[in-house]
Amino acid sequence: MTKTLGILANRSAITRIQGIIIIAIVVIAAAGAAAYYFMATPPPCPSGSKCIAIVTDVNGRGDLAFNDMAFLGGDMAAKDFGLKLVELISRKDSDYVPNLETAAKDPNIILVVAVGFMLADAVNATAHKYPDKNFMIIDYPNLNFGPNVMGIVYEEHKASAIVGAIATLTAAYYKYARIGVVLGMEVPLILKFEIGYRWGADWALKWYQAKFNETAPVIGDTPVKERVLSAYTGSFSDIVKGYEAAKPMYEKGAAVVYQVAGQCGLGVAQALKESATAKGLTKGPPFWIGVDADQDWYVPGFTLVSAMKRVDKGVYLAAQLAVQGKLRQVIQETGGTVVLGIGTTVSGTPVEGNSVSTMADLDEFIQMGINGEKLTGKKLLPMSPEEIKSTVAAMRNALPSWIWDAAKELEEGIRSGEIKVPNAQMMTAEELAQWRAVLG
Amino acid sequence: MSGQLVARFRSVAESGVAVAIGIIAGGLIMLAFRYDPIRAYIALFTGAFGSVSGLLESLAFATPLMVSAVTFAVGVRASLFNIGAEGQAYVGAIGAIIVGGTVLLPPGVHPIAATVFAMCLGAAWALPAAILKIWRGVHEVVSTIMLNWIAFWLTTYLIRTYLGEPGRTERAIPALPTARYPVIGETLTAIIFVTVGFCLLVTILLWRTGIGFELRLVGDNPEAAKYAGASSSRAILVSFLVGGLAAGLAGATQILGRPPSWTLYATLGNVLNLGFDGIAVALIGRNHPIGGIFAAIFYGGLLHGGRFMEYQAGVASELVEAINGIIVIALAIPEIVAILRRRRES
Repeated sequence: MTKTLGILANRSAITRIQGIIIIAIVVIAAAGAAAYYFMATPPPCPSGSKCIAIVTDVNGRGDLAFNDMAFLGGDMAAKDFGLKLVELISRKDSDYVPNLETAAKDPNIILVVAVGFMLADAVNATAHKYPDKNFMIIDYPNLNFGPNVMGIVYEEHKASAIVGAIATLTAAYYKYARIGVVLGMEVPLILKFEIGYRWGADWALKWYQAKFNETAPVIGDTPVKERVLSAYTGSFSDIVKGYEAAKPMYEKGAAVVYQVAGQCGLGVAQALKESATAKGLTKGPPFWIGVDADQDWYVPGFTLVSAMKRVDKGVYLAAQLAVQGKLRQVIQETGGTVVLGIGTTVSGTPVEGNSVSTMADLDEFIQMGINGEKLTGKKLLPMSPEEIKSTVAAMRNALPSWIWDAAKELEEGIRSGEIKVPNAQMMTAEELAQWRAVLG
Repeated sequence: MSGQLVARFRSVAESGVAVAIGIIAGGLIMLAFRYDPIRAYIALFTGAFGSVSGLLESLAFATPLMVSAVTFAVGVRASLFNIGAEGQAYVGAIGAIIVGGTVLLPPGVHPIAATVFAMCLGAAWALPAAILKIWRGVHEVVSTIMLNWIAFWLTTYLIRTYLGEPGRTERAIPALPTARYPVIGETLTAIIFVTVGFCLLVTILLWRTGIGFELRLVGDNPEAAKYAGASSSRAILVSFLVGGLAAGLAGATQILGRPPSWTLYATLGNVLNLGFDGIAVALIGRNHPIGGIFAAIFYGGLLHGGRFMEYQAGVASELVEAINGIIVIALAIPEIVAILRRRRES
């Protein structure tokens, strides 16, 4: 009995000492914090300044593509127009509305940018609640969202068609039987990439036939259904899923795999790197194709091209219009939805949003890789910028010039309107089934 | 009586010390990264509770968590480590979509019918784990983890096939306007009254009924319970079923009571982690349904207020999550210690 009491007494003594220690820590920490308060960093959007806010979807930053491109555009606009950039990263779907509202309530914010179709419902609700605030949403048309919302959509089907053609002709040149595409969620926006890519493959085979008077080797003899391998991973963030989808494609003899899955799609590059290292290759085939950004620097020598989607230009454009006070006028003129693509214009000025990556783009995006290294603390650039450039140039030169000629021909046809690429985003289920019957 | 008072005072004091430790530790981390902890904490708490709209939003975040916490709490009361709330919440959300989105019912009846169906599906999803435990002694951690994954893939499949909204394959059919709970403000709806009421009912069940007494007795001391003639099978079954009803309700709140989407996304993004966050909430609330209500409001405040740490004090969003995590862990420690102590004693 006394022994138990003794232990109890001991215990409370320890607690008392702990208590004193804790109080001491509180006092020291409070004093330290108070001292620090006077030299603290200012908030991202201090009162009196003009700011743009970027609200991400749950996939967040670090994809080296879609989301990072939006921030790139925001950064450039902030620099050019003397604005401050504020970011609101969404961790859960239920963060969309409160994040948009937080930005909307701040009187210093001149434009709220919502990055991605997942925020559509939230933008619709918030924009109606704050009719005086300007909003912009990437990848979603303004469907009665109000006169204060600019929807910016891209012509991904056209860029996908061009890289589909390049992929198919590359497969033909290296005598591979297949090409592949790894996609994120099976939503209308992503279907647009898939159908465009398949259509481009089909166009390329016909072009080859017309040009050389013979069927394209190997891939031209592959049945339509097996020519373009495709897989939806259901995710834009899970790299492992991208890896698992791409691995069997390369094993089945895909010369090129196009990734349309954000961060998840970087798994395609990993699958490629792994099999290339196993075989001791220093350049493709096999290849992969990057998306949204110029990802040619990511696995140099193995990245055939990138189907660029200039989300940065969209953000920059909206910020510029907001600064000039012309945003609502343009929303009124366009009915709320601005299309950026190949050969597109906004209020008479040409603004393009989609293209196939060039060597000039590479310079710009190597810089983005360097910034990405700073952001994630992980090594991203596989070699020095000069080595990357020479490796990419060597890879491009190893391909016959007729591949690039074909791509140019297709692009010019699209630009002039002579060649029409089907847009799966707007298709009914029956139309989609018809195209699948033709394209596989 | 005085012993009970001391015990209660002690648990309150423990929680108070835990809050202080968590906040100080988070503050030190912010100092280490050269952020201003005082401004950050002011931003956190005024953002979460300092305005009517902030408070309403924090309550909206708290609504599902107070019931998903009940799942874990009634488990612990019966000496079970039931972590199946996650999967049961997915299934509950599907139940809410089935009745709320595809069945035509008059307003008033519709939300109630959809909520009840969602809760029943949640309970049905808890049943296999209960039966396996009673019949074969399968550990509930193993069975509930597996059921969580089955629920995840089943729900994803259903959204992409039978329950998908035509033309918008990224999400399921939304709940019809007749099935939605009225909006109070921000994204808070009247379904909070249902979740609070449910917590109160579970409290009455546990402390004012024979079945509740039996459940707690089995949880406190299975051997003694056996001699006293209590049925451990019945206690386990009741614990799982009440937990399933609670988790099903948690899933339903995001469909029938959360603007702007009123539906489930194919990523399950709007119900993901409700069950796991509920475990943390239950631990903070000392595994008491009423403690869970307050813990959920605190946790909801962290979830909502976190964005202001980033927005007003410039704290990197990754660090905001880490600081919130540290506060939550510090708060959960007293209950974890209590659970371990009870285990060792029995």
